[in-house]
Amino acid sequence: MAITVRRLLEEGADQLALTVVAGENYLDRKLQETAMNRPGLALTGFFQYFANQRLQIFGLAEFTYLKSLSHSEKLERLKGLFEQQIPGIVITRNRKASDDILKLAEEYKVPVLRSAMVTMNFVNECTVLLEKLTAPYMRIQGTTMEIMGIGVLLRGDPGIGKSETALALIERGYSLVSDDVTEIRQTSRGRIMCWASEVTRYHMEIRGLGIIHVPSLFGVAAIRRRTELDLVIDLKHPTGNEDRTGVQPESVVILGCEVPCITLPVGSGRDMANIVEVAALNQKLKELGHDAAKELDDKIINRLTNGRVRNG
Amino acid sequence: MADNTIVKKFKVENQYGIHARPAALLVKAAGKYACEIFIEKDGNKVSCKSIMGLMTIEGYPGSIMEVSASGSDASDAMAEIEELFVNKFYED
Repeated sequence: MAITVRRLLEEGADQLALTVVAGENYLDRKLQETAMNRPGLALTGFFQYFANQRLQIFGLAEFTYLKSLSHSEKLERLKGLFEQQIPGIVITRNRKASDDILKLAEEYKVPVLRSAMVTMNFVNECTVLLEKLTAPYMRIQGTTMEIMGIGVLLRGDPGIGKSETALALIERGYSLVSDDVTEIRQTSRGRIMCWASEVTRYHMEIRGLGIIHVPSLFGVAAIRRRTELDLVIDLKHPTGNEDRTGVQPESVVILGCEVPCITLPVGSGRDMANIVEVAALNQKLKELGHDAAKELDDKIINRLTNGRVRNG
Repeated sequence: MADNTIVKKFKVENQYGIHARPAALLVKAAGKYACEIFIEKDGNKVSCKSIMGLMTIEGYPGSIMEVSASGSDASDAMAEIEELFVNKFYED
């Protein structure tokens, strides 16, 4: 998923201390790759394997090299670089762009940005941001909570009690990430990050009450901006076909990532918040390498196949 | 006990005996019916609708289990449970 230079500028203006110095009308150029390129070698006139799809970073090395050239040489080399149809240039350390660069930017319709950061820091931060902006992203139906560091996505048909369960969990001291609609993206570590859409963030709709603002009622400890997804819980009407032992764990695939999944039957008189809380704790235990269901099963199998002794 | 009690004996024929997975299958099958179902072995009698009960009954491979069902739908329940034992709980 390619993004435009404009998007990078909008999202990274603060974080990367970015401003436009030339080619403002060409910000819709697309960054086809999330990596960046130092065009030092290209400036010497060597264009084999030149990564022309990438954002080009002008740091101290590039500037110092250009300084060593005569003016006509400098112009010719820069021209060669712009001819490669690069998507954009970033000048780091807040260096001033020469008149040649400004002129060529307009001529070849290439946006030129400037950052106050030093090159190494800029490249690091910009890589993280580009990966975030280009990660697979989608919006799904479901309420997300963070329960003792475990990100839990509650799914289920409308009216089954996702928000009510979330509310009860908030009262128990856990944190709301999003109600009913959750935005997700894949992180570079192959996990799923969940957060709420900007507009409805930290609001909930409770049937009979209407819209409530969670941090106003419960304090800022009751909310979290985002969480990594550890467990999906599907709330369903009872079918009698539920898992009874948890020996055969299930999972769902979301954005290509496999996430453990539990189906919980919602019955009258069941304290769903309590059960979801225990499910989250049990998941935490599993991640620590302690699977209670499996351990008990192994113990029983061991007794059944080896021991054959009866007590009493 | 209700009048129409059905009693049958089955042999545990799967490799590992009645561990968590077969226990879950038995509970799921029994849970669908209104009748009372018990499994007995060596004087140890537990409800067939209780996971924890079934896991403590020590149904090791080759042991004989006595299943008793009593209630209006007892024969259907018994047929389904028999199926599980006969098919070795779909293991092996």
